[in-house]
Amino acid sequence: MKSISAWHIFLLLGLFGLFFIFYQGLWGDPSALPPVIIKEPAPDFSAPELYEKENIVLSEHLGKVVVLNFWASWCQECKLEHKFLLALNKHYEDNTDFVMYGVNYQDEDRLAKAYLKQYGNNFEHVVDLKGKISIDYGVYGVPETFVIDKKGVIRHKHIGPIMGDVYSDIIKTKIDPLLAEGATSS
Amino acid sequence: MKQPLRRILLILMTLMLSIIPQTVIAQTESLPPDLAMADDSLQEKLREVSRTLRCAVCQSETIWESNATLAIQMRDIVMERLIAGESPDEIRAYFVSRYGDYIVFKPRFRGLNLLLWGGPFILLSIGGFMLFRNLRKWTRPSPKADIGADDEDLRPIDEKQRKRIEEELRSLR
Repeated sequence: MKSISAWHIFLLLGLFGLFFIFYQGLWGDPSALPPVIIKEPAPDFSAPELYEKENIVLSEHLGKVVVLNFWASWCQECKLEHKFLLALNKHYEDNTDFVMYGVNYQDEDRLAKAYLKQYGNNFEHVVDLKGKISIDYGVYGVPETFVIDKKGVIRHKHIGPIMGDVYSDIIKTKIDPLLAEGATSS
Repeated sequence: MKQPLRRILLILMTLMLSIIPQTVIAQTESLPPDLAMADDSLQEKLREVSRTLRCAVCQSETIWESNATLAIQMRDIVMERLIAGESPDEIRAYFVSRYGDYIVFKPRFRGLNLLLWGGPFILLSIGGFMLFRNLRKWTRPSPKADIGADDEDLRPIDEKQRKRIEEELRSLR
C-alpha cells in the first residue's frame, strides 16, 4: 500500500473545506442578507406626512429613540404586525423620548389611508413615493423596522413582522435599553 | 425599363422615410424618462452603472434589465447622482453602503469573494497537476513492467507455500 503524503492530506483538507462551505450554503436562507447599515448614522430625510402633507424631518428628533417601520397597504405581513405596532406606540405614549413613524413604501396615498382607517392608527406616517428613503435605508421589502438611538445611529434592524416574541424582545432588549441611555453616551 | 426602376426606388425611399422616424421614436420611448432627456454620455454612464447593480428584489437581474418598481427607483437614483456629478464608482459605493456587496452584480475581488474568483483556477491547476503526474507515470517505461517481477518474487518459498503448491499440483493430476 502506498504511503499517504502531506500532499494528499492537504488536498483532502482542501476538498473537505470546499465541501463544508457548499454544505453550509445548502441550509442557509438565500433571502437572508446581512444588514450593513447597523451602527451607521441613520440617513436623514425630509418627507411629507401622509395626512398633513407637512414635511417630517428625521434629524429634528435627535435626542429621542426613533422607530421607523416601512410598510405598504398591499403587504400581507404588515397587516399581521399592525396591531403590535399600535400597541408598541401606545406602550411608550407617555415617554417623550420616544417617537415612531411609519414609512409608506411603494404605495398610493388613497390605499394607505384606507388601510389605516381599516386597521387603526396612532402614529404618523411618511410618504416615500419615489423610494428614496427606502433605498437610503437599504430596504428590500416590507415590513422592515429600524430602531435609531438618541444620537441618531441605527442600532437595530428587523426584517419581517414585529409580533409575538419579536414584539416583547424589541421592547425589552432594544428600545428600553436605548431609552435608558443618555443622548451623549454611545 | 427606366420607369419600373424609378418606381421601385420611390417605394424604397418612402418606406425608409416612414420606418426611420418610427424606429427613433420607439427607441426613445423604451428609455426611462430621465434617460431619454439626458445627453449621450449620461445615458452611457447610466447604462454602465445600472448593468453592474443587482435588482434587490429580483433573482439574477440587473436594475437595467428589471422593470420592478425598486429597480426603476434605483435607476432614477443612479441618474440623479450622475447628474450631480458623482462617478460610477462613487454611485456603486453608495449602494454597497446601503445593501452590502450583494447589490453589486459582479462579486468584488476581495475577502471570501476571492474564493469565487480563484476557486475554479485553483481546482483546474490541481486537476492539471495530478493529470500531468499520472500521465508521466503511465508513459515512463517502468523497469518493473519489463521484467514482470518485483522484489517480493525474489524471496525464497517457505515450507507453507511449498506444501500448498504441491497440494494444488496434486489436485490437478
